[in-house]
Amino acid sequence: MTGHNRLRLTMVGAALSFFCVLIVLQMLHIQNSTQHQELSQWADEKFTYAIEKYYPERGNIYDRWGRLLAGNEDVYEVGVLLQYVTNPTTIATTLAGVNELTYSGIYQIASKPFDPEKSVYSLLADFLPSGVVDILSEIKQEFEIENPFGRDESKPSLRGLVWYPHLKRSYPENSLGSNVIGFYSFRDRQEGIGYYGVEEYYNDILAGSPIDAFMPRNPYMLERLPKVPAGASLVLTIDREIQAMVEKKIDEAIEEYEAESATVIVMDPRSGEILAIATQPRINLNQYWQTQDQFKDRTPFNRAISETYEPGSVFKVLTMAAALDSGTVNEETIFNDPGRFEYGGAVFLNWNRRGEGKQDMQGCLQKSINTCLAWVATEMGSQTFYEYIQAFGIGRPTNIDLGGEKIWPLSLPGDSDWYPVQLATNSFGQGVAITPIQLATAISAVANDGKMMKPHVLKAIIQDGQQYNTTPQVMGVPIQPETARLLNEMLVRSLENESSLGLVPGYRIAGKTGTAEIPVDGVYGTESTNASFVGWGPADDPRFLVYVWLEKPGISPWGSVVAAPLFRDIVMDLVVYLEIPPDDQSNELLAKEG
Amino acid sequence: MARKNKSAYQQAPWRRQLQTIGLSLLPVITIALAVSLYLTISAQAAAAGLEIMEMHYQEEDILRRITNQRTQLAWMTSYSQMNKRAEKMGLEKAPPESFHYLIIPGYQGPSPILLADPPGSGIDRLPVINEYYQQSLWDWIMETLMVRAPRLEGGGQ
Repeated sequence: MTGHNRLRLTMVGAALSFFCVLIVLQMLHIQNSTQHQELSQWADEKFTYAIEKYYPERGNIYDRWGRLLAGNEDVYEVGVLLQYVTNPTTIATTLAGVNELTYSGIYQIASKPFDPEKSVYSLLADFLPSGVVDILSEIKQEFEIENPFGRDESKPSLRGLVWYPHLKRSYPENSLGSNVIGFYSFRDRQEGIGYYGVEEYYNDILAGSPIDAFMPRNPYMLERLPKVPAGASLVLTIDREIQAMVEKKIDEAIEEYEAESATVIVMDPRSGEILAIATQPRINLNQYWQTQDQFKDRTPFNRAISETYEPGSVFKVLTMAAALDSGTVNEETIFNDPGRFEYGGAVFLNWNRRGEGKQDMQGCLQKSINTCLAWVATEMGSQTFYEYIQAFGIGRPTNIDLGGEKIWPLSLPGDSDWYPVQLATNSFGQGVAITPIQLATAISAVANDGKMMKPHVLKAIIQDGQQYNTTPQVMGVPIQPETARLLNEMLVRSLENESSLGLVPGYRIAGKTGTAEIPVDGVYGTESTNASFVGWGPADDPRFLVYVWLEKPGISPWGSVVAAPLFRDIVMDLVVYLEIPPDDQSNELLAKEG
Repeated sequence: MARKNKSAYQQAPWRRQLQTIGLSLLPVITIALAVSLYLTISAQAAAAGLEIMEMHYQEEDILRRITNQRTQLAWMTSYSQMNKRAEKMGLEKAPPESFHYLIIPGYQGPSPILLADPPGSGIDRLPVINEYYQQSLWDWIMETLMVRAPRLEGGGQ
């Protein structure tokens, strides 16, 4: 190589090296420029990653035996990718009539011009069942074979028509247990939320947590795909069969007794587990948007936990429990009933406007003597009486795990709205307002040796593939076990002695009727009443407590005439579901077992 | 004399040219090999990534179908449907007086439902994909070095 050539090569090499250095410098300049971060983010968002939101599957709701009460089903969203639409007429013709879609409406949407910035995709219909989409898929395929890529505009083509699957909340039992389950507003796919009942109370754990995930467009960068854990599933204490049975019974009772409404609670007093809550109205949860039409005039979604009313004589169970437990009276204490009782400037009469003469405490309960219970309360004194009433949970929520629990505050001595006369009226369940769940919970203490269990509908939570069972909680011990057993026995005998319509053949049942007058224009009368009955059994080892409330029964105002038979009808079926043999058979079996 | 000796052992020019070309091409070939290796592995990784993504969508689809079928089954066995089927089959509600209760030794009544394993059941939930398939080559080298290094240090004991 000559010296001249060497020089030339050196020059070219130097020039190329200089050019490379310039490139490197420019790269460094770009990387350190103020716009670098902005540009980098723009590039990432546009070409490297996409932020996608993943919604977890909403947890299921089961009854106590694992029967699905709320689940999810596969549905489809159908729309058009405008860029690929070749024949909007075919799309409109095919979809007309589906989900109330009209030809003109579809045609207008499908023939919109494609605009990469503004108009790429248009939604046609949502929540279509998989059957419809299967048919659409077949038609689309047939058209595609005859007219590939929709090139021939004179031939039909569904090109551009697309569908995406997603899950929708589904309630296989329709209206069964609707007042307990509540509903999820699934039509709002982004902001859906649980309303009422379990769906509201446990909304957060049922829903799980949506995840915003960076999804790389480059598959090589795909290290780990986002895993969205489903929301937790719930197993309820509700028994579907019992719930259905009770709902059927109350529907029949409303018709038979011409009542405005009926509410029944079935619970296990030993654990506080709610086996059924039935009331009216009920809605088909798959059409939850009709709630407003069904629940008019501020009708609560679940009367058992949201409607307060004066309970009447069933409240006497609590007054007597307090009096026996505090030692104010005992079983043999005699009250001579003249038929009227004066206290706090007011006169109190019995329901039959008659005096019952000398009565022991069982007689007072059996004949539901207002004057006797008013006397008992005044003997006890307001402080003791209200201490017990509060210990029974009256005036505060039970905190049952259902959305929408309401209470009416208890007026206490010293409050501006409390007058001495209320001590007497409260003793027989007037001038005090409670919800059915409050009273059922309070009285369950008498059936459960003085222990008041927290009412609940949640039996277990299933999360991350594991089942966590709940533990029953004691809410309080308002009375001693001896008092509870004594009162239990008094209530068994009083039912038997009066040959109550609430008696269930073959079973020893403890119970009490109630008839509360509803004031009309401020005046109490028997034209309009709340008729109720609370009972539990078998009395020696209670496994169920049933609270029945009929609002404004038409054929008779008395709880003993309308609520007690409904209680009996329910319990006659309930003992079968719970596999409780009649007392004589039970004793025989126990004797055999040794 | 020394000059003569040097000339006698000097390589032929064509050989020297070949050596120069060979040496110049060696890094190029090495780089080309490394690049082709890198591209092959990248392509395989990308294909695997796409396959995983596809399987992920399939998994989603299967899970959704399982959910749907569970719900469809619940619809078919709902209270009203079962009642209709019972009526169709001519079944009637048994009157209470027809029941006979028996003691079955050891029978405690229906057991509480268990829809999932109880906590602490001892069942390990290991990932389905082996850890090795989720490691990069670099991770594997680092892990191997980290694990083996202490062993080598303590080898003399």
